[in-house]
Amino acid sequence: MPLKLWRKPLDADRIKIPRGEIHIIKERCKGCGLCIEFCPREVLEESEEFNEKGFHPPRVKDSDKCALCSFCEAVCPDFAIFTVEKNRQGGC
Amino acid sequence: MQSQKPSQTSRLGSEEEIRIGVFVCHCGLNIAGSVDCEEVAKYAAILPYVVLSKDNRYTCSDPGQEIIKKEIKEHDLNRVVVASCSPRLHEPTFRRVCEEAGLNKYLFEMANIREHCSWVHLYEKEKATEKAKDLVRMAVAKAALLQPQEELVVPVTRKALVIGGGVAGIQAALDLADTGYKVYLVEKEPSIGGRMAQIDKTFPTMDCSICILAPKMSDAGRHPNIELLTNSEVTEVIGYIGNFSVKVLKKPRYVTDECTACNDCASVCPVTAPNEFDIGLATRRAIYTPFAQAVPSAYIVDRDLCLNKDNILVCDKCIKACERGAIDFSMKQETVELDVGTIIVATGADVYDPTSIAEYGYTRFPNVITSLEFERLINAGGPSGGQLIRPSDIQTPKSVAFIQCVGSRSKKSGNTYCSNVCCMNTIKDALLIKEHWPDTKIYVFYIDIRAYGKGFEELYKRAKEEGVAFIRGLPAEIIANRKNHNFRLMGENTLLKELYEIDVEMAILSIGIKPRQDSDVIQRLFTLSRTSDGFFMEAHPKLRPVDTPTRGVFLAGCAESPKDIKDSVTQASAAVARASILMAKGKVTVAALTPIVDTENCRVCGLCARICPYNAITVDKELKKTEVIEAACAGCGTCGAECPFGTITMRHFTDQQIYAEIDAATEQDADKKIVAFCCNWCSYAGADFAGVSRMQYPTSVRIIRTMCSGRVAPKFVERAFARGAAAVLVAGCHLGDCHYINANYQTLRRVEKLWKKMERLGLNRDRLQLAWISAAEGEKFASKIKEMQEIVETVSREEIGKSKKLVRERAGELSCR
Repeated sequence: MPLKLWRKPLDADRIKIPRGEIHIIKERCKGCGLCIEFCPREVLEESEEFNEKGFHPPRVKDSDKCALCSFCEAVCPDFAIFTVEKNRQGGC
Repeated sequence: MQSQKPSQTSRLGSEEEIRIGVFVCHCGLNIAGSVDCEEVAKYAAILPYVVLSKDNRYTCSDPGQEIIKKEIKEHDLNRVVVASCSPRLHEPTFRRVCEEAGLNKYLFEMANIREHCSWVHLYEKEKATEKAKDLVRMAVAKAALLQPQEELVVPVTRKALVIGGGVAGIQAALDLADTGYKVYLVEKEPSIGGRMAQIDKTFPTMDCSICILAPKMSDAGRHPNIELLTNSEVTEVIGYIGNFSVKVLKKPRYVTDECTACNDCASVCPVTAPNEFDIGLATRRAIYTPFAQAVPSAYIVDRDLCLNKDNILVCDKCIKACERGAIDFSMKQETVELDVGTIIVATGADVYDPTSIAEYGYTRFPNVITSLEFERLINAGGPSGGQLIRPSDIQTPKSVAFIQCVGSRSKKSGNTYCSNVCCMNTIKDALLIKEHWPDTKIYVFYIDIRAYGKGFEELYKRAKEEGVAFIRGLPAEIIANRKNHNFRLMGENTLLKELYEIDVEMAILSIGIKPRQDSDVIQRLFTLSRTSDGFFMEAHPKLRPVDTPTRGVFLAGCAESPKDIKDSVTQASAAVARASILMAKGKVTVAALTPIVDTENCRVCGLCARICPYNAITVDKELKKTEVIEAACAGCGTCGAECPFGTITMRHFTDQQIYAEIDAATEQDADKKIVAFCCNWCSYAGADFAGVSRMQYPTSVRIIRTMCSGRVAPKFVERAFARGAAAVLVAGCHLGDCHYINANYQTLRRVEKLWKKMERLGLNRDRLQLAWISAAEGEKFASKIKEMQEIVETVSREEIGKSKKLVRERAGELSCR
């Protein structure tokens, strides 16, 4: 398509897309960074704080970007992260 | 006028006595208006081997052809020269005439005294006549050396390739398939349908566009003879008429044939983007179908958007949602190889992007939309459900302005041509608004309304009757009210000669059609030509409107020029008829222009094989054998130019024949002449185009036709200088656009070497010029000759004498390789 698509689609506010809420159980984290590495939307980043074990647990950078793929939950070897759906509107 | 003289025996030493007949055509006044044809015929009669010379009004007419046949028999002619128009136009005609009279068609030669003489020297009758004599002398000299040739008959694969799945491509595929041929329909997008699928209604009948297209699309999808290759692109084409081998890159859909288009996957997909089909007015998911009626009716994953990158399956929502298990992220792209006999190029067109016209504010003002966006807005299946709304507040506007010729007929926008469809499209759109919202005030700002087709004028009249205001004169600027997003349009009504100021709530830019951005890819793959507009060029604008210069490749739809649906469909069927002729016959002859290797004297150096663009020469150093694969050879002749030992003979363009032409061209007043070597496909055609356009240029140039500029051996240039020519021009297709893949790179290399040698010998290198002139660049050809005329006039007699002497003495050195 030749024209660049610059408009906000007319149905942008009506489109329902799943949005995730990320919960991190900091104490379980051993700072492996897999969740940060594999998040397709780069929602997570390493935090500066230390947990009880002395690791840096991840923190949510931009929660609006979470698409609820739950891959962080799947890759975490320590069951330290999980996502729940929060319904919200607005596409693109 | 007719004269005869006793014939001479052949200087070839063959047993056959050469008897040439020359026929000089008046072409009404087209030639006779600026060339004294009787005098040319009289002159031709005294040339060697000419036993008969005649002039007549129309040589190509039926009586003209009969005369040739009669004379061949009566005077026992064994070579025929016709001095008339371009061989690109009528060589096939006269060759057929010769064949009908029992003469091998390769014993025919043409002198182009119309496109290359009378039309470009309209006001210099004396000089034009002298030039015409030269051209006839050159043709006669070549004719004396012509040999009969046998053409190779090759089979035509009874399968066709159609590139582009718009309405033209669909129609072409269906027609071919119904005729009984296997068709591969290649489409770049995920669905066939093209532009027509995006449009709401069609003019002038107001039929629903997708309603009439969708049945055709599904027919094409279901037809047992059609193989659809969507999401695919042609990447390589080799071969020749009747025997093309095409590589198509099939990009994966990541959705298998099991898909039923139920939309379960898309409804759970977490990623969205603006839908290209709706020009961004609606949203789609990463897994989607472009529109409801898409064919094939299967979803596709946009991997640029999808969360799953590379081989990591991060998100499996769609996979879980698909009951039939049709989603497969492990699909890989594949390359399919197709063998086809004919190809139809129906790649369509792009639309003009009006962002660059700052005064109309497209992308700055939300309520300035394009006519294509309007089509989606007024369409019941579109993003607004068929409600005409303006994007800023989703309200129906009470007044609307259409602005015509946005990106057409304007030097400023770069497109000077008329896009043909926008006037009627706007009239149709205006009537659609009137139909649903009759109180809407509609203004159409235009330069001219072009309602030229069947039923068009009636539709225009109806629009006027329904109260659409047509105002002649485009607004200079769209001024927006920042609060309510309404517009004020100001400009001059050129009919009333007064200024207008009109307030509207929405403006629709009637955007033009432009060639596809990636046209150059198709152009290279099929060695096509493009006109200055950028659309593909037909083999002849009047008589071969769907053929291309590449035999076996045809054009349909907007790829050739902007046109409406009816014309696209008509052209598609025409292209099918042309392709079917070849496939129905099942065999075709290829021109006998291939090289013959003198195996006894060949030293098996392998230079020819190395530069052959088609790998058509095999060299076996052990067996000391150089062989030409005739079916693979396209006849460019660059091997003949490369051979350092002269053991390659290019049939019909032999060294001796070209020498004879050079010698004939330089026989008189060589020091005032330019010898030009022009390739058949681009530069010779460009010179023809200069003729058709009546561009005037100096009479000093004498054009020698070769199939490719790669045929021009350094020794030809050297010969011209040795004969005392003032200047030499070597002209070919643009680099990268060579009709023979890349043979003109050899031209470049050879000319560059010649320049260096000339410099070393202390010769003025400007006397040898190299130019890349396409078939559409008549202007460039004419100005090149004008530019070279200055060289001709300034080059000194001493310089010419020096080059004559030096070149003759050191012939070996100059003919560098």
